Formats: sequence, C-alpha cells, structure tokens
Amino acid sequence: MRSTATEKMCAGIVAMAILVIVSEFPVVGEWRPRRFPDAARVTFSRDIAPIVFRSCAPCHHSGEAGPFPLVTYGDLKSHARQIADITSKRRMPPWLPSSDGLAMEEDSHLSEEQIAKFQKWVTDGTPEGDAAELPPAPKFASGWQLGQPDVILQASSAFTIPASGTDVYWNFIFREPTQSSRFVKAIEIRPGDKRLVHHANLLVDRAESARREEKTPGSGFAGMELQIESESFDPDGHFLFWKPGSAPVVEPPGLALRLDPGNDLVLNTHLQPSGKPESIQPTMGIYFTHEPATKFPVLLQLENDRALDIPAGEANFMVSDQFTLPVEVQLLAIYPHAHYLCQEMAAIARFPDGGEKILIHIPRWDLNWQAVFRLAQPERLPSGTTIVMRYRYDNSARNSSNPNTPPQRVKAGNRAVDEMAHLWLQVLPETPTAGERDPRMVLQEALARHHIENNPGDFAAHYNLAAMLLARGATQEAVEQYQAALELRAGDATAENALGGALLAVQRLGEAVAHLSIAAKARPDYFDAHYNLGIALATSENFSAAAQEFATAVKLRPNDANAEANLGSAFAAMGEIPKAMKHLNRALELDPENRLAKENLQTLRGAAGKP
Amino acid sequence: MMQQRLRAAGLVLFWLAVAGALSAGKVALQTIPREFAEDLDGKPVDPIASSRGALTVLVFIRTDCPISNRYAPEIQRLSQEFRKQAKFWLIYPERAESPLRIREHGEEFHYTMPALRDVHHSLVTRAEATITPEAAVFERSGKLIYHGRIDNWYEELGRSRAKPTTHELEDAIRKTVAGETISAAHANAVGCYISDLK
Repeated sequence: MRSTATEKMCAGIVAMAILVIVSEFPVVGEWRPRRFPDAARVTFSRDIAPIVFRSCAPCHHSGEAGPFPLVTYGDLKSHARQIADITSKRRMPPWLPSSDGLAMEEDSHLSEEQIAKFQKWVTDGTPEGDAAELPPAPKFASGWQLGQPDVILQASSAFTIPASGTDVYWNFIFREPTQSSRFVKAIEIRPGDKRLVHHANLLVDRAESARREEKTPGSGFAGMELQIESESFDPDGHFLFWKPGSAPVVEPPGLALRLDPGNDLVLNTHLQPSGKPESIQPTMGIYFTHEPATKFPVLLQLENDRALDIPAGEANFMVSDQFTLPVEVQLLAIYPHAHYLCQEMAAIARFPDGGEKILIHIPRWDLNWQAVFRLAQPERLPSGTTIVMRYRYDNSARNSSNPNTPPQRVKAGNRAVDEMAHLWLQVLPETPTAGERDPRMVLQEALARHHIENNPGDFAAHYNLAAMLLARGATQEAVEQYQAALELRAGDATAENALGGALLAVQRLGEAVAHLSIAAKARPDYFDAHYNLGIALATSENFSAAAQEFATAVKLRPNDANAEANLGSAFAAMGEIPKAMKHLNRALELDPENRLAKENLQTLRGAAGKP
Repeated sequence: MMQQRLRAAGLVLFWLAVAGALSAGKVALQTIPREFAEDLDGKPVDPIASSRGALTVLVFIRTDCPISNRYAPEIQRLSQEFRKQAKFWLIYPERAESPLRIREHGEEFHYTMPALRDVHHSLVTRAEATITPEAAVFERSGKLIYHGRIDNWYEELGRSRAKPTTHELEDAIRKTVAGETISAAHANAVGCYISDLK
C-alpha cells in the first residue's frame, strides 16, 4: 500500500506522502519516529485556524469586505490553494510596509513560517485535525464598533457603481455635522457594502469648498484626489481613513479633532466594480468628547510632483524630496501616496548626529491597499532631522498596473492616469510655552518655503506661506506672497479675499477694496469676501456701500452675529437709527455677548437719551 | 420522476444522496451516461453534443469567486456578441451549490445563458479547467480547441490591469469562425482553484 502510493508521487514530496499514509494507516513499525502521525501534519484546527482567525477573518466574515468568509473548516478548504497561492505572493493579507521600517499598528503581514503552513496544509491534503485543538472562533461586534455614536450622518444620495470598467472614485459630502464647536474623539466610517470600497479618506472642509464641485447640492462628485481649501490656519492635523478590516481610531488622550458650525465632512472613496451594478450610500458615526484638544498634531507633506515627468517606457524613474525639521516632533503616522506607476517607496530619517533610520519602506506599492500607517510607538525626530522621501516608478508596458496601453508620458495630476509623489507625516510638535512662537507655525512656514523652493509655481505653498507670515505679523511679506499666489492663479476668489484682508490689516484701504471686490464678484455667495469688503468700505467711511456688503453677508449667513452687528453699525453711521437698532438687536439675539452690538446699542441709546 | 423529486426537494444533501445512487448505477438512466452535468432542474445535459453545429463555449464560474464575478459583464457581452457562432454555457463546478443559489446568482449578475452544475466534474475534465473563471471552446466535433483565461485582466491573484491587453477567448472564437488557426490552445487563468472544491 505504502509503496504504491509513494510511487505515484513525484520525488519532491515523497517524504510527505509517507507521512500522510502513516497517519492514515498507523501500523506502527519500529523505524518510525514516535511523534508521528499527528505532529507532522499541518491541520486546520491546530495550525491554520489561529492564523486565519487573527489575520484573515477580520475582513473575511459575513458583512465585511472579504468576498467570501474564512472562518470555518469548510470555508478554508474550499479556498485552500487560492490562500496558499496568494499568501505566498504576499498579496494577502494586504500589508504594504516591509519589516525594515518602524513597527506599525495593525501590522498584518504573515511570517515565513505562517506562509509555509498554508503551503504544507495543501500538500498534506487540507486535513481538519482534532476539533479539540481548535481555538475559539473570533467574535466580531455587529453594529457600531464603539457603541452608539453621538451623531449619525448619512450621505444625502446614493452612488451607483457600474457593473464593470475601471475603478471609480466618488466623493460624498456630509453637510454641517454640528451646530456648535465640538471636539471629536472618533469617527466610525461605514462606507456601505464593504466589498466594493477599497479605501476611503475623510476630510474636514472648513470653507464649504467641496460643495462647489457638486452639480446639484447633495449629488456628490467624481474625483480621485480632493483638494480642500482652508482660509485659516487649521490646527487639526488628523488622518481620517477607512480601510477594510480596520477598527475605528480613537484619538489618544489630549488629541481631538475640532468641528465648527459650517464645517462639512467629505468622504473620498475608491470603489471597485464587482460585476453587477451596486449602490452605496455611506454613513458615519461621530463620537464627541467634552475634553478640548490639548495637543495639536500637524500633517507635513513631502512631495515632488514637479519632478514627475516620466517618459513612456521608462521602467526605473526616481523621484525624491527631503525636508529638514526646524523643530523637534514626535512622528505618529505615515500616509504615503502615489498612483498606479509607483513601484517602491521609502522614507528615511537622517538624524543630526549622522545616524539614519528607515521610517517606512514599501517594496511593492499597490494603490489598492494604500493606508494610513500608524506607528506602534511615537518616534522622536529631533530638530534638524532630515526626512528623505524616495519613490520609484515604472512606466513601461511590463508594469501591468500601467493605466496606459501603450505607455504614455506621464506627469503629476489628479486623475488615475496621472501620477503623484506624496508622503504625509502626522507629527506632534512640543506644546509651545508662553511667549514662544507656536512650533506648528514654524513647521508650516518652513514647509511652505520648501515647497516653493521645489516648485515656484506651487499656488498653495505661496498661499500657505502668506498665511503663516500674516499670523506672525510679517504683513508686507505676506502681501507679496499672496500676490505671488495670484500671479499663478489670477482672480482666485480665496486668494483675492486673503490678499484683501492682509491689505486691510496694513490700512492699504483702496487696494483692499479692489481685491475684495474681485473676490466677491468672482464668487457671489462667498460670505467672507462680502464681509471683509464691508469692513474695508466701512473703514474707508463708505457706509452705504459697506451696508450693502454686510446685507449680502447676512443673507448668505442669517445666523452670523458679527455680520448683523456690522450691518447695524453701518446703518448707525449713516444715521438710519431704526434699521441700526433692528440689526444690532438681532445680533444680540444671535450672540448676547457680541461686543460690537452691545457697545453700539449703548451709544445709540445714550444719544437718544434712553437709559 | 427523478427531476420532479429534485426540484421539489432542492436540498443539497438530498441531491448528493441521489448523485451517489446514480453513480452506483441503481437508478441510472440507460441512454444517458451517468456522469453528465445537470441543468438546474436536475436533467442531465451534454452541452457539447447539444450545441448542434455551433461552437460550444463553457465558462467555469463560482458564486463565491470574486474574480469570476467581476468577469460577469464581459462573459455576458461575449455570449451576446457571438450568439450566432457559439453557444455559451455557464458551468458551476461546486457540487454543494444548490440550483436555487445558482439561479439567484445568474439573476444578480444579469446572466442570460444557460447554467449547468458539473457535479461529477466531467466537464472540468473535458475542458481541462482548473480555475474559475476559465473558458473552454469546443468545435462541433467535440474537439477542445482553446481552454484557459478569458483575457489577461488579472496578472496574478490580487493584481489586475486597468484593462486587459490580450483577449484570448474572443480571439479563439473569432479565428475559429474565420477558419484560422489560433495562436495558443491554452493560457493560464487567474482566479479560484477548482481543485479546492474536490
């Protein structure tokens, strides 16, 4: 019996074949090792289940992203070779960083030994083994992972993914999740049918800028990359990211994301056709905290999109960037980003003492499995540390992910056929002591200067540098930077408004009015532009024109106490007392503490001889 | 008689019991070989012999194979485009898959071609199929002229192209219809292993 069976086997697996036979026909002969038969075979219960329960089942169970469940023996057996194949190629579980970088949370990569177990399980004939050795099956919470959220939001309309075609990128806007300023501890994103969503990025839009992309309010809009505009220095550097199988992130003590009235949340989703038309309508649950944030991380972006000009057929194109930290920071998380041509990514820290450390190394980039990688432990990066980013691209036909057939010259851009070279780092600077300049601003200013050095045509960098300069009182230089931004994008409403604001701050009233007028005209529903123009006109003592602008601002935001107070004040200056009283009172209704309204009402009452 | 019992019962266990009985020859129908695939009513069918004159294309799929599911629109498109030249069949090699589930699956993915359950893997053997999705093209004589991938959309498990750049199944049908010889009689498919089902 034994010899017949072994003869049929090829030479390479003769030994294994004997073991199988031995275990099935345990006729003991003295020459056999005593531990046999069980120990030599890989069984589901003893060897496979512990790996699968930890590394596969979190996605591969009912309702999750995995296309089929991997929990029971039957589940595993009916995909055994597929699992052995895909794990040996390290395509599953999806985990991009290699182990030469920093240790990351949720590291799901399998060890060589674990991968070998799947192989041997197949060659052993996928035995179930002794059920007594089976560890308890993992329990997965259904419903909200962090309990009942404080607020549940649903995208206002569903999006239908076509049955076939290339991947789809769709953005959903969740309008104004809060009516008062709140701090967010966690957001659980439920993108809908998780089998269809590769990943999703959530961005806070503090300027309603994404709404302008929608054809009709609530329709959502297409687009792989999302550029959210922010007119103020945004202190909340948080990654809000969803990928299959990830638990929602609860911010550590001291960290929280601020949400103000008027802020929108924008969910940028990467969707994959499944073979039939499918509809998704994401929801999310927001968990607030009463504890205001005390630590403020910053998102640093290294990039070198300008260097991206990859000739068709070029198989080995390098892009790099490096940035020296002007302050000490703790590195919390890394989000590398590129599109389909990128093959390999590395980020290295070069310390001031000459030492070097790999922060992250992705030997085989795959856009489909991009993620925010959170460090298992924060990594201290002293002031003077240089972060080096090096990305490698393959624009040849050999790269099967190449979206162009035949290959085309590729530059940076927002579409899937364009490329990107971005490395985002979430860092936490020291909390500033009194009188000291906020290190976040030091960082942002240095970074903006670095981006301008890389690319003098970087509109956002000029704009950001101007904002940082304005914040530290370097107004003249700020005006120059806003002007540089406007040279790149003439008539841009946001930059015109910001430049007008800076000119207003240095009392260059005529120029301020001119630029603010351009902004208000370019975007008639732009509250800030009308409001600022009103202030500039009022400062120039042109009160009737100021009143018109404030009236427009009030129309755009009927609950803004400052706009009402200024409108009332403009009427007061024009001697239109009843109108003035009406709007000043309305301002106090909206905000009983509004100083301008209080003071001017008092003055008016005094003038009228009323107490 | 047998068909009615199957339809009424619709249970996997019951069906397997009958299949066992069949292969044991106890209730074997005399005129039909016992290892034929079955349609969703349990009726034995030889798709190659019954395609009468046209080419026969068997497409092996599974209800739970994400790759074969993603191919559904392409499989359906090919079956329509070549409906005059080739008779397409969906072949489900998973023995435990019930006719009910297969009907649901066909509706979900908008398939309009007939489906067969290859409970004995007789078609798997004839088509030399190892993967879902995988296609096999037979001439009217019953000769296997192409088997393997539909196209090269997937390079390997977990890695696909934005669009396929070669279309082996389509080429095989076109060339055969045009009387040309096809360039390769086989191309490895990427997907779920049929041998995992044995």
